[in-house]
Amino acid sequence: MRNGLLTVTPAFFKVWLRNAQVYVALLKFNIIPALVEPMLFIIVFGLGLGSYISEIEGVPYVKFVAAGILGSASIMQATFECTYGSFFRMKIQNTFEGMISTPISAGEVSLAEILWGASRGFFNSVLVLSALLVLGVVNHWQAVFAPVFMFLAAFNFAALAILVTSRIAQMEYFRFYFAGFVLPAQFLCGTFFPVSRFPEPVQLFAWAIPFTSYVDITRSLLLDRPSWRLGLEAIYALAATLLFTEIAVRSMHKRLIT
Amino acid sequence: MVIEARALNKRYGDIVAVESLNFSVEKGRCYGLVGPNGAGKTTTMKMVYCIVTPTAGSLRVFGLDVREHPRRIKARLGVVPQENNLDPDLTTWQNLMVYARYFGLPRQLARARCREQLDFMHLSDRADTPVPDLSGGMKRRLIMSRALVNDPELIILDEPTTGLDPQVRHLIWDKLLELRDRGITLLMTTHYMDEAQKLCDEIIIMDEARRIDEGSPDDLIHRHLPPYVLEVRAGRALAADIRGRFPQISHQESGRSLYFYGGSSADFDGILSTWPQVERVLRPASLEDVFLKLTGREIRA
Repeated sequence: MRNGLLTVTPAFFKVWLRNAQVYVALLKFNIIPALVEPMLFIIVFGLGLGSYISEIEGVPYVKFVAAGILGSASIMQATFECTYGSFFRMKIQNTFEGMISTPISAGEVSLAEILWGASRGFFNSVLVLSALLVLGVVNHWQAVFAPVFMFLAAFNFAALAILVTSRIAQMEYFRFYFAGFVLPAQFLCGTFFPVSRFPEPVQLFAWAIPFTSYVDITRSLLLDRPSWRLGLEAIYALAATLLFTEIAVRSMHKRLIT
Repeated sequence: MVIEARALNKRYGDIVAVESLNFSVEKGRCYGLVGPNGAGKTTTMKMVYCIVTPTAGSLRVFGLDVREHPRRIKARLGVVPQENNLDPDLTTWQNLMVYARYFGLPRQLARARCREQLDFMHLSDRADTPVPDLSGGMKRRLIMSRALVNDPELIILDEPTTGLDPQVRHLIWDKLLELRDRGITLLMTTHYMDEAQKLCDEIIIMDEARRIDEGSPDDLIHRHLPPYVLEVRAGRALAADIRGRFPQISHQESGRSLYFYGGSSADFDGILSTWPQVERVLRPASLEDVFLKLTGREIRA
């Protein structure tokens, strides 16, 4: 238990603050580009493709796909932040080494990076949700809780990204991670089509990834379709997220303190 | 004792970075770790500031075990790393304030400290400058300021003046001596022997993961070399000729230079009268000569 989450003190928030400070300093570079992809998704899948698909699971396609657009906007932001962003801070700018030369611990740096990635995913989901509200795609009040689950989904992907970042020697390896995991997850986890449409092995893959549960929960919030099954999904997803976070923090600790 | 290392070892797999290292650092003095690249200096320093964990042996800083109390140790020291790790997206002032926050300084105190340290390093008029707009010397001075925001008892500097112009080097030397005179302990590495000779009270020479000698600069020079050196630049044939004619004068060869060592400058009269035209320098023996003797080629009599 020497290097895991239990050793992290509230000091980790100072590292989160440092990232937030840099984010604000570079605000114009951060906000607008991050919105382009989800907006394209709304146009392409919602309005474009949606006009050919009348209904999925009893709702207009654009309403079905809203949760997927929110989800993919969150996880992609978190993933970029904690792969390329964190790797850059770790290896190119030596920022982490500077931090751990102060009373901040390696575990605190790791958790702060994960929380920061999750925060960026969360901001993004709030922006995209606002756009969906304005467009009238989302109209149930329960939708205000959607960013909570988007935050958790982003947290999960941030933790996975930190785990990968802690294990690779050069940035190019991220391409394997994106091609082998992030993109399949982005498209297969019930985001743009129901998981039940896929062959059984793909369904297993999809449900094993907590993201599928987070998207499912978000969708039921947006469409006002509560169900007991969602509770089980939430428990599974939270447990998996916590586990990945613990593994990621330990792994990054090992990378930073040699 | 500020630092006490006993039988300190660090291995990475089969690679031995530091082997059976013993040394002690007393309060208020400046210690230099010198040695060729790869000798284990940086690894040793990183163990002191707790980002590298020893494989074996004991290392205590401020009397605390580095494995047990990294946070308490790090709170009391300042680090000037070899690589620039300033935040390029923030200004000079923000860089300092972010670190003051890492050290948990209350806001008022943090501001006062940052102002004080900017002033100390002559950077006050650069407070709002973004880091990429600072010159190399200013960046180095900012890293020094940053290492001081927590009012450390021990400052660890890894090659603090590499790549800097003479003005900045002199400024940094001045400041380091001032800090030492205030009772702050300094542990530094350097490849510049003039720097080590000027700043360090005690020098630890490392080579191939081990400590090979230790002492004050004067002590090391006296122990290893006669007081005078005649440096002769000569081609291979002439060098062989001189060596053959004066085999009794101990010497060392390095590239196109021959270094003759003597108890007085008169020892070299024979060489100088036989080859009056040869390109040469007669000077007192320096730490650099000791370094080359211990880590480079041995003297052959």
